[in-house]
Amino acid sequence: MENILAVNLLQQVFGTRNPTYALDNVSFNMPATPSILNLVGESGSGKSTIARIILGLLHPTKGSVFYKDTDIFTKEPRWQKQFRREVQVVFQNPYSVYNPVYRVDRVLMKPIQKFKLASGKAVANEMILASLKAVDMRPEDVLGKYPHQLSGGQRQRLMLARLHLISAQLIIADEAISMIDAAGRVSFLNILLDFRDRLGISTLYITHDLSTAKYLGGEIIVLYKGRIVERGETKSVTGSPLHPYSQLLVQCVPVPNPKQRWKEPLTDSGELSVYRTPKRDRCLFAERCPKVMDICWNSRPPLQKPAASGPDARGEVACHLYQPHGN
Amino acid sequence: MTPIMQIRDLSVGYASRRAVGLAVTSVNLDVEKGEILGVVGESGCGKTTLAVALLGLIESPGVIQSGSVQLRLADDKLVDLVGLAPRPLRQIRWKEIAYIPQGSMSALNPVLRVRQQMTDTLVQHGLSKAEAIERARWALNLVSLDAAVLDKYPHELSGGMNQRVAIATAVTMQPAILVADEPTTALDVVTQRSILQELVKIRDQFGTTIIVISHDMGVMAQVVDRMAVMYAGRIAELGLVLNIFDAPLHPYTQKLIGSIPKDTGQHLEGLEGEAPSLWAYPPGCRFHPRCSLATAICREQTPELREIISGQYAACHHCD
Repeated sequence: MENILAVNLLQQVFGTRNPTYALDNVSFNMPATPSILNLVGESGSGKSTIARIILGLLHPTKGSVFYKDTDIFTKEPRWQKQFRREVQVVFQNPYSVYNPVYRVDRVLMKPIQKFKLASGKAVANEMILASLKAVDMRPEDVLGKYPHQLSGGQRQRLMLARLHLISAQLIIADEAISMIDAAGRVSFLNILLDFRDRLGISTLYITHDLSTAKYLGGEIIVLYKGRIVERGETKSVTGSPLHPYSQLLVQCVPVPNPKQRWKEPLTDSGELSVYRTPKRDRCLFAERCPKVMDICWNSRPPLQKPAASGPDARGEVACHLYQPHGN
Repeated sequence: MTPIMQIRDLSVGYASRRAVGLAVTSVNLDVEKGEILGVVGESGCGKTTLAVALLGLIESPGVIQSGSVQLRLADDKLVDLVGLAPRPLRQIRWKEIAYIPQGSMSALNPVLRVRQQMTDTLVQHGLSKAEAIERARWALNLVSLDAAVLDKYPHELSGGMNQRVAIATAVTMQPAILVADEPTTALDVVTQRSILQELVKIRDQFGTTIIVISHDMGVMAQVVDRMAVMYAGRIAELGLVLNIFDAPLHPYTQKLIGSIPKDTGQHLEGLEGEAPSLWAYPPGCRFHPRCSLATAICREQTPELREIISGQYAACHHCD
């Protein structure tokens, strides 16, 4: 097994008369060695669609997803059960994933029953305590409580305890910390790093927030309107982005330092019209791009290594500026 | 300089059958004319309750327990917004102090066109229909929106556009104070930056005083002049944003600034523990159970917000 996850040429089209390409030929892999992959994009970039497809909640129009070399849409029930156990999600809203009428213990008890993880009540309790410890939670703070008695940060961390309990191998974290407080965010991210290093759990970290992606490190994919515009090492992409869209993103991160305030006013005012893309063989960023050229309107730039990069460079960019014929 | 708004000993709570839980406790704050003041804190720290109280919009089960919010009008007269009768309050709202609500997507009425939402308040304030539409156009233009937006429904607009409509609606009457509650939460970074720029532009152009409520330290660092850090209903620290980021005084502020993710491989500690619920505040300093500096006095006495260095205030027994 070379990759834990392989996403091949995913295409997701919504609507028939006015088709919207939520995803347009997106491919990427996550290696078998534990890793964190950041998937960054604004709302409407298709990042949540990717999460839903990987979880098997949505059938893509075209393309395939392989988990440990097996197509995730295979019908084999035993494999499906294993897949549903090993690939787990942490959603954005920690308020809507819990059933308010049950105590939170239930989200830990249920998987133990469902996957028959423990031989008896005592073992089950032992496991729960171990998992809470893995996410730095004290049992007396959470067990026996109802969801409304916990903070957002606690609820998200409890979801991680659940993943630990069922020995998940791949976590899809879809904007998992955007609704928790600043102070709790770092703890959540630290757990993801700890899970990777200590337990070998990989994470696909989906976010719109470059600064948290930067904290996690690893590799990054920048999506724009359903297409990958740039990918590479998180450090180099956030440090010296190549694609004009990635550059714009990096410029717009509110740096938490009042001495590094934004200087020139931003000319791009975000998305001021609801977009329709009738023409697909072009760069979709063309209308916002400060460096737009004629070719950008007429040909879709392929995702490839920039012409000027050395043989060791791992980054890839989909922009005509960096194509051999570009400049 | 005389402050445009003086908040004195303001306590706002929520009443249950048995007790009142104070979401905002004894807040004292002077808002200077023309400044951008940030109010930052975790969810549940009382920042939205404070904003709503400033507009006189506290409704049952919310109650204003004590205190006053003195607003200085253009003719230098002071009015106390607390306890003002609904009618005069309606006259002041929008004209003197306007609100940009959290989550404009849900604040706008989905079945009304933007035109109607924007002109309703203006007509209420005595403008003619034609004048109101003229104003609305002017305000939309101010936030870089095309007047064609007037004929759209909220669902036809993107999140960023809706937020601009909310800002435009708030500035139509050119209020002296704008209260923006989480103006950019749930927007992507590019839109966030351009919305924040619009707010700064409004201040620079009209001298509007703006109170920005946010949980995002990045937003604070980028746009506000002064910042009030709230913890569990009280102001923990107050001062120029430059000074606070440079040398935070309160242990809570220190933790808050210290836990901002920056670079790869730089390990940060989060803030352990949870903020207390408004039904069970600990005695003394409300931060003491999570504070590494806590001593006996912190468990017994509530620290007052006091000036530690010129212009920088903190409510902590150990800040000297």
